[in-house]
Amino acid sequence: MSDDKIRLWRVLRSSTTAFSVGCPRPQDTDGESLPEFGALVKVVRANGDIIYGLIHDVRIEDDAFVRQLVAAAVDEPEIIEDQRQKRQVPIEVSVLAVGHGRDLDVYHRLPPQPPGALDDVILCNAAEMVRFSERQDWLRIVLAAPNVSAEQLIGAALRRTALSRPPDQRNAYLVGAGRELARLLADDLVRLDGILRQLRL
Amino acid sequence: MALELNKLTARIDEMGQVMAQRQAKHLELSSEARALLKANPAVTEELLAKIELAREQDAWRRGAVPLGEALVEPRTPEGLHTRVTLIAADGSQIFPDSDGISPYYLLNIGSIVLRRGSGQAPTVGSAPEIFFTDKEVYDDANELRTAEYVGIQRQRREIEALADLAEQERRELGGDLSQTILAMTDGPLLPWIRQDMNDSEAMAREIEFTAQQLERLHQARAIPVGYIDNPNSAYVLRLLELIRMKPETINRETLRAYHYQHLTDRAIFDDLQPNERTAVFTVHTDANRRYEALTNDRIAFVYANMARTKNEPVMARLEVPSWVAEDPRELDKAQAAIFANCEPEGYPYVLARAHELAVVSANERARLEEMLLGFMLQSGILPEMSPKARNKLLTGGRQWR
Repeated sequence: MSDDKIRLWRVLRSSTTAFSVGCPRPQDTDGESLPEFGALVKVVRANGDIIYGLIHDVRIEDDAFVRQLVAAAVDEPEIIEDQRQKRQVPIEVSVLAVGHGRDLDVYHRLPPQPPGALDDVILCNAAEMVRFSERQDWLRIVLAAPNVSAEQLIGAALRRTALSRPPDQRNAYLVGAGRELARLLADDLVRLDGILRQLRL
Repeated sequence: MALELNKLTARIDEMGQVMAQRQAKHLELSSEARALLKANPAVTEELLAKIELAREQDAWRRGAVPLGEALVEPRTPEGLHTRVTLIAADGSQIFPDSDGISPYYLLNIGSIVLRRGSGQAPTVGSAPEIFFTDKEVYDDANELRTAEYVGIQRQRREIEALADLAEQERRELGGDLSQTILAMTDGPLLPWIRQDMNDSEAMAREIEFTAQQLERLHQARAIPVGYIDNPNSAYVLRLLELIRMKPETINRETLRAYHYQHLTDRAIFDDLQPNERTAVFTVHTDANRRYEALTNDRIAFVYANMARTKNEPVMARLEVPSWVAEDPRELDKAQAAIFANCEPEGYPYVLARAHELAVVSANERARLEEMLLGFMLQSGILPEMSPKARNKLLTGGRQWR
């Protein structure tokens, strides 16, 4: 996991529970990290407030041009690469708000205000991921979120936050997260089992 | 709803009948014209003399002049150079709006350099420019610049962008002349100038500028091509008119009593096979005459069928300078590369992409004007739209945001 702060792109629209981000292209051609399901991102507002979110969907929109190329079975490599790398195909990244904070403080609750349109969205580095996941209260927000694949998202996010720790701490971290999940899903063992099965690194 | 369709029903019915009659007439005329061409395939001394006579009598505008020895000379290029660079540039604009919040206009030129055979993504770019000073937006009579003026500025930038990119590409190839470079524009190579345009100096300036850029392309050993999709020209039909006429009947009046009215050249060449082109012609226009006077060169053209399948022709007019048209192998290279680039079928990919990179959507325009509005307010200016523009926003489909 790179420690570099990388801007994904900018906020397109937002609410206090979720926001959408525009991304320029689907493939990593210039060494940029691209949005991945379960990644922790942050938006730093002008007043210093930080809003944390988890990427829960990456959607590549099609358009008439792409549909036409697919239908015509175009296989010219230069055209395929143009479409993949250079066209402004709308790529929309959906982010679930899971916390907010300021400086080193992190609170696992919904932010008082949503990010602003065109705010920078930055992929959190390893230190930020460790700091964010010292406590697991954010799991409750994900489990309660509508229209989100909560089990898949929790699995992906916990694997990433585990990998951001030193190797000798990862297992203990996942066991702790598992305990918290067992408490939250005590009455839904099938769902709990589904998440725990995904926590293997 | 503003359009009460029920009030148009009777007229629409009548329109259908008129269209059917027109179609029948066109089919008859097309058939007649094709037969005439088939019966007169050669370029004879008599025909050339008639062309001269027509020019003397009525300037004979927009008539095709054959450059070869035959009017019917279909040709299909053999093979395709795998390593070809296709360059395209296209522009779009926001015209000055006297009812808008501020007088300005905008040009945006999209461009693409696709290196066929490289397997690499093409190089793409767009160059937006905004014009807002008094000198830029008002003419000498203090009138807001016209759409025609803005169109000419756009055409200048398109052809200049092609020359810039072709020179750069040739440099990057280390001067290697074995790689074909094609420089394409969507539309004619010479600027479109109204026949009634009374500013002769302005016309001369535009032709001179275009001639300079075409010469730059020539020096870079690039092939300039003006690609006209679904052409509505009737240049060759005007030539057929002359075949029909006896020399003694050619005069201003008979030349203007146009027998093949409303028909286009597509009608006589729709039997071309996929990737086949017609004989080479040039066209007698004021712009071409001025270009020839400056350069001793003429813009020539062929019609070509860009369809992949038989019996469903997709006609295009390809315009090239004579120094390309005179060498059938150069024209073959250009046509083969364009045909191969017509993906999906029927229209060159590079032109579609250049257009996409250039086009300013209504949404983008709204955002630009919103930004402009914000800066005006910051500068203490209270922008004011005309009541007409404001009402258009309220009642029309255009969204301010």
